Amino acid sequence: MDIIFSAFLIIAGIGLFSMIGADPSAAASETELGAAFWPQIVLTIMIVLSVVNIVTALKKMKAEGKTITSEIDVAGFFKSKLFIGMIAVAVLALVLPTIGFVPSCILFLIGYGVLLKAPDIPKLAIAAVLITIVIYILFQGALDIMLPRGTGVFRELALVFERILPF
Amino acid sequence: MFDLLVTGFSIVFAPATFLFIVGGTIIGVIFGAMPGVSASMAVALALPFAYAMKPIVAIAFLVSVYCASITGGGITAILFKIPGTPSSAPTTFDGYPMAQRGEAGKALGYSLVASAFGGLVAAFAMALISPQLAAVALKFGPSELFAVSFLGLSVLSCLDSDNIVKTLISGCIGLFLACIGMDPMLGIARFTFGSSTLLSGIEMIPVMIGLFAVTEVLKQTNKQKKIDIEKDSTAKGGDTSAKLPSIKELWETKWTMIRASVLGTVVGILPGAGATIASFLAYAIEKKVSKHPELLGTGIPDGIVASEAANNGATGGAMVPLLSLGIPGGNAAAIMMTALVIQGVQVGPLLIKQQPEYLASVFASMFVTNIVMVIVSMGIARVFAKILSVPYSILGPVIVILATIGAYATNNNTGDVVLMVVAGIIGYLFSKLKYNSAALVLGLVLGQMCESNFRRAYTLMNGSIIGIFSKPITFVIVSACVIMLVYPFVKPLISKKKA
Repeated sequence: MDIIFSAFLIIAGIGLFSMIGADPSAAASETELGAAFWPQIVLTIMIVLSVVNIVTALKKMKAEGKTITSEIDVAGFFKSKLFIGMIAVAVLALVLPTIGFVPSCILFLIGYGVLLKAPDIPKLAIAAVLITIVIYILFQGALDIMLPRGTGVFRELALVFERILPF
Repeated sequence: MFDLLVTGFSIVFAPATFLFIVGGTIIGVIFGAMPGVSASMAVALALPFAYAMKPIVAIAFLVSVYCASITGGGITAILFKIPGTPSSAPTTFDGYPMAQRGEAGKALGYSLVASAFGGLVAAFAMALISPQLAAVALKFGPSELFAVSFLGLSVLSCLDSDNIVKTLISGCIGLFLACIGMDPMLGIARFTFGSSTLLSGIEMIPVMIGLFAVTEVLKQTNKQKKIDIEKDSTAKGGDTSAKLPSIKELWETKWTMIRASVLGTVVGILPGAGATIASFLAYAIEKKVSKHPELLGTGIPDGIVASEAANNGATGGAMVPLLSLGIPGGNAAAIMMTALVIQGVQVGPLLIKQQPEYLASVFASMFVTNIVMVIVSMGIARVFAKILSVPYSILGPVIVILATIGAYATNNNTGDVVLMVVAGIIGYLFSKLKYNSAALVLGLVLGQMCESNFRRAYTLMNGSIIGIFSKPITFVIVSACVIMLVYPFVKPLISKKKA
């Protein structure tokens, strides 16, 4: 996995290096280093270090008698709680602009709680609603942070909540 | 001088002003502890209250909010691994492991005492040598500021000495991420792939929250055993009656406290540097000078003390150029300056000469705030610490929700939440592959400062790179950095030769 990641960094680094180098507006002048200078320095160092890392990892792998794919368990990863957790967090980020803060917060708290094996689901659901109310009053009300309202019916719902806020 | 102090304290101890300072401290600690509410945002939120006050009371009130918010940031950094303010990020390195061991109270105690000490040192420095310090800071041009930011980057070599190559790669990834968006000198779009969202660059706060908080929840999700022991809440640091550090224990960290406070004050004075760079720099220097550097990051007080003393030291430092020269050193100072300007106060070199009571009131309010803050923060921290005893099946998702709000509140943009999630997943990958998330953050924090100052210095020197490094301050700092960066590679060779 380490070698694959380093190889990815090298390929991405070379691609990005060429990309910024091909931009004529980023070129250096006599007294200005140009927009390409700094990223190219950084990318060069990153590429060199990634090569060093690959060489070191290959040496270590050879000594331990392993192969590049010996530590990768793709099927196991997709079945793991970790993967579901990652998906849950990603879904939260993606649905937030559409369904708004309040529904996504309640659903996420319940869903992730179930994933973490919460012993009592009804209690979890009640806790999720109460926590959402507290967080909503604190941030939307007291701190005046405009939390996402969502669109359509969710937006209307959010506007109703905002009207009944104590602050 | 004595008259000035008397004036300051007489202003601050006027009943109404004192109440405002205590109120400002409470607001500051709470705001600072809220993920996504940075110190400058806390000051901005408190600004409407200041409009109704007399200018001298307003500045004392805003200073108390500012100092307390930096301290408040350490509370969530220790308890949930969510840095309340970016400058508290290094506090998570040792604070969170201590809280996990059930020493949350102790970690908070170290954090608060160090914060107060750092704040007091900075307050005294500001009151005693403000004009002189400002004059020195003025000598720092782009080449010197580049050297300071490069010094910050040299920290990379000591963040994880066991995986130096991977740590440096992580730092490079951070530096590259800082390049995304508009070029700081010419305004040319770089690596934006036509996206208008990327034009403003990669936001630091969502990345930081993702790397620290979301990654931690994902790690815990993957650790089935840890979740199963949630009935025993004390195993997760939920012991709210945890002991505070004793005087003797605090005394043992005295040199760390002094070093970090002085460093924080000096860094705070430099325009554009600020509390975040101060805390990272202090942590790194601690790792360099510590007798047991391998323990830093495993949950020892020195790491917390270094980070918190430095970021609070920077608060006083930031007031120096503001009061002496009328130059705000950072966002929070700029907001405070706005409050004064709106009220008709002419901020600048003449302020200290013609109206010394402003310097006096700022000093006295910082002094009082840093003492009141310890008591207030301890109370608030106890409430926060109780949350640790909540089962992880509830606490874990709540941390993600708070992190989401923290990321979103930066720009009221759900795109930043997506960025936080990506950072969280990358953070998990980093921890699995033994890369260093802190190094990535450091690169991201310092990248633009380093680049823009280097390029500015190059232009000022008419295209001479030698000219940049020939400046005495730059030469000394950069030489020290090169030694720090090269030493980890040379060290094994030296010991091999000796053997």
